[in-house]
Amino acid sequence: MLRLHKGWGMGRAVLRVAPHNKKADWGMAYRLGGPCVLALLWAALPALAQGASAQAGATRKQEQFETRLSPSPLTDGTRINITGEGRAHAELDGNKLTVSADFHGLSSNATSAEIYDGPGIAIPGPKAFDLTVTQGLSGTVSGSVTLSSRQVASLRRGHFYVQINSQKAPTGNLTGWLLPPHADPGQDVPVAGPGFLPQFAVPAK
Amino acid sequence: MTMKKIFAISLLATALLGTTAIALDNGPFTADQAGAGRGLYAGNCAQCHGAGLQGAGEAPALSGATFIAAWGNRSTDELYNLIKASMPYGNGNSLDADTYRKIVAFVLAANGAKPGATAFTGAEKIKIAGIADGKMPAEMAQAAPASGGGGGQRPATSYPPGRFGLTVAGSLKSYDPVTDQMLAHPKDGDWLMYRRTYQGWSHSPLSQITTANVKNIQLAWSWAMNEGGASQVTPIVHDGIMFLSNTANTVQALDAKTGELIWENRIGPAPTRAYGATRALALYGDKVFVPTTDAKLYALDAKTGKIVWQSVIEDAKEGYSNTGGAITIHGKVLVGLTYCNRYETKHCFISAYDTETGKVAWRFKTIALKGEPGGDTWNNLPDEFRQGAETWIAGTYDPELNTTYWGTAQSKPWTRASRGSGNGATLYANSTLALDPDKGTLKWYYSHAPGENFDLDEVFERVLVDHGPSKDLLTIGKVGILWKLNRVTGKYEDSAQTVFQNVFDKFDAKTGEPTYRKDIQSAKIGDWISSCPGPAGGHDWPATSYDPKTDLLIIPLHQSCVLMRAEPMEKKIGVGGDAGSQQLFEMPGTDGNLGKLAAYNTTTMKALWSFQQKAPFLTGVLTTDGGIGFVGDFDRRFRAFETATGKTLWQTRLPTSVQGHVVSYAVDGKQYIAVESGLGGGSPVGKPTTLMPGVHHPNNGAAIFVFALPDN
Repeated sequence: MLRLHKGWGMGRAVLRVAPHNKKADWGMAYRLGGPCVLALLWAALPALAQGASAQAGATRKQEQFETRLSPSPLTDGTRINITGEGRAHAELDGNKLTVSADFHGLSSNATSAEIYDGPGIAIPGPKAFDLTVTQGLSGTVSGSVTLSSRQVASLRRGHFYVQINSQKAPTGNLTGWLLPPHADPGQDVPVAGPGFLPQFAVPAK
Repeated sequence: MTMKKIFAISLLATALLGTTAIALDNGPFTADQAGAGRGLYAGNCAQCHGAGLQGAGEAPALSGATFIAAWGNRSTDELYNLIKASMPYGNGNSLDADTYRKIVAFVLAANGAKPGATAFTGAEKIKIAGIADGKMPAEMAQAAPASGGGGGQRPATSYPPGRFGLTVAGSLKSYDPVTDQMLAHPKDGDWLMYRRTYQGWSHSPLSQITTANVKNIQLAWSWAMNEGGASQVTPIVHDGIMFLSNTANTVQALDAKTGELIWENRIGPAPTRAYGATRALALYGDKVFVPTTDAKLYALDAKTGKIVWQSVIEDAKEGYSNTGGAITIHGKVLVGLTYCNRYETKHCFISAYDTETGKVAWRFKTIALKGEPGGDTWNNLPDEFRQGAETWIAGTYDPELNTTYWGTAQSKPWTRASRGSGNGATLYANSTLALDPDKGTLKWYYSHAPGENFDLDEVFERVLVDHGPSKDLLTIGKVGILWKLNRVTGKYEDSAQTVFQNVFDKFDAKTGEPTYRKDIQSAKIGDWISSCPGPAGGHDWPATSYDPKTDLLIIPLHQSCVLMRAEPMEKKIGVGGDAGSQQLFEMPGTDGNLGKLAAYNTTTMKALWSFQQKAPFLTGVLTTDGGIGFVGDFDRRFRAFETATGKTLWQTRLPTSVQGHVVSYAVDGKQYIAVESGLGGGSPVGKPTTLMPGVHHPNNGAAIFVFALPDN
């Protein structure tokens, strides 16, 4: 039995999106020789989620995104200062993005939190927005911003990431790329297909 | 503030800065520290980084222009923290702080930093380029520390003292010489080569242990193995005798039913690295073939363990090694070569030796030089600066086509910017090579990652599977793309993505040729560039298993990413290394699960099932006709799972990380499962060590464990 990530007020939203995750077959292997079906699905899935929401009778189109916050890029030498974990949740309502997160386990007090807009999933990019963060070793992050249409597209492609900075890791302590919610079956529990498999690639040549 | 005060403050600031500048001429350490550090370096570091701090293999240079290029803009406390946290390799923080301080002092001094009056504490934030220029003082160069054991503390990875040679004499009662026919059609109870069959399936036809009774298996016997170095063993079993390769190129013949030792030959030398394991022995005729970590090939008498002949593959003093094992075909033993990452007039190659005499039969050079086919794929680099394309996994073989298939590693240094290879494909790096095993001639090649840029090898196993009339070859590399080629022609057939990747952004639908992201193509020295997966893969040396009953390829996968920075590499003969700095991070969408096991149908190339877990897998997979798979992981867990579903059926925990290659064999009608617990290795061990500091395993515990059903 699959269980879903527990987030901040996301239970209903996740349950709306999850059936479409299944329909779209997130776990489908990316076939390099075929057309860009999966890449298009990747870009279109949040919109499908919107459609599901509408079908379910919701009055507003909301898209959900989430991520685990994990240590920012580190080495054996820097990991002593780059510790902790957390979860972030984002909801897109029209072009308004609301972000919330919690975190714990930092080695030094958090100093700032931001949303970045990278050129691709797991590729660092420029800062887009500031968020509000608890100035402590644990706490919460919150913020609400208005996105341009380009930024909405970027978010839907998985290019947005949340970053928490701290006193000892001022250029990145915790990081997480905002991706569509996905089921977590738990440790060692087999699922059909390859599991959640974000797609980076664009259409074949 | 008055102008006078501002002027006075300026004067004071200038004076302070001046004082700082003068202080920077001297290093933040004393001569005593550097002197003491010499022996400590010899005892703890020189094994991997070299007596002259020149670096070798995956161990970077700790002196010279390469070191200054990588570390000049970084600070002394960074160097100290990195060394303390991660060294000796795999055993970070295992030495006392004062030892680390002295080693850092020695390294700085070896790069031209002058001792000062104040002892180094490790906390000094001094830019290294401000105190060191990479030029080793003449007196230090002349008195370079001996490699290993130079009076310092014994490193945790060292090999226990003992004599070498035939240390336990004995003789098998009988031995049935291994023939081509036996290799092509092994007895069900035998495991005659690296991945059991020429096709590289890692599958056993034994079926006594089933999905129903596997929960009852228990330990039949175990045998402690050499500690030190890296161990990723494949036990080889023939007629109830297990030939076991330990570190230090030690080979043992054991009774596979009881674990009784029959003979032992400690060929040596002692391990010089905590990575670079000997993964497999090979059998042919009445001999056992041992490709050693010092790049030699030995033939032992299978009955007695005595050396029959030895042949030098390449000069180990220049860093060359063999880790990939061997394959025997038509009276020849074929071996690869690794650590070809220095600028030399020589290049990496696959070679074949007569099994009776050890005489070289042929060599196939894996680098295309100027004027040769493919020689125009190196951006016109001089031949001596075209390196890499190691073969550190033994090939497979199709007897019907009389073709042997080998994968090659990436070109060196790792990044395009460091190599200066432009966007050239750097053939025959990261390719599948189809060779005639009798002549060593190239039949075809396929370049999986033209112009690789991140230490993402495509060197791993080539699995040969027929789908009706279609003769296919399957392989998967660190990017995590599962490739299917026609093994007659080398033509691309299909592929599938198994983990998240962001390295390629286009693929040619007909040829499968990938295109690297634009920022990768234009990256310069000093740029931090993202790569998912990182250097642990995707897929790495823990091999796949093909189950012919279900047409499933079970693939151990690793999920982490890297930011890699290209470092400059001095274009000079003898200089070498990988020249890539790394920062590791979690792969998006994996929720911190580094480990993933996935089953792909090789006809449809679709995943049937997969599961994730925190710890990455460190063994190859074994499947059997009992419908069971076996796999072990970094967190000491060894499990049996149902091949068709991935459901765990049985598991236990072993003393340390479970790594190597799981095998199954039978003696007197009883099926056994053998697996190793052990240590050492490159990225598959190093990356989780960095990313999962909360997962602990002992720094010893190398042993072979053999499981079976109870007799009753």
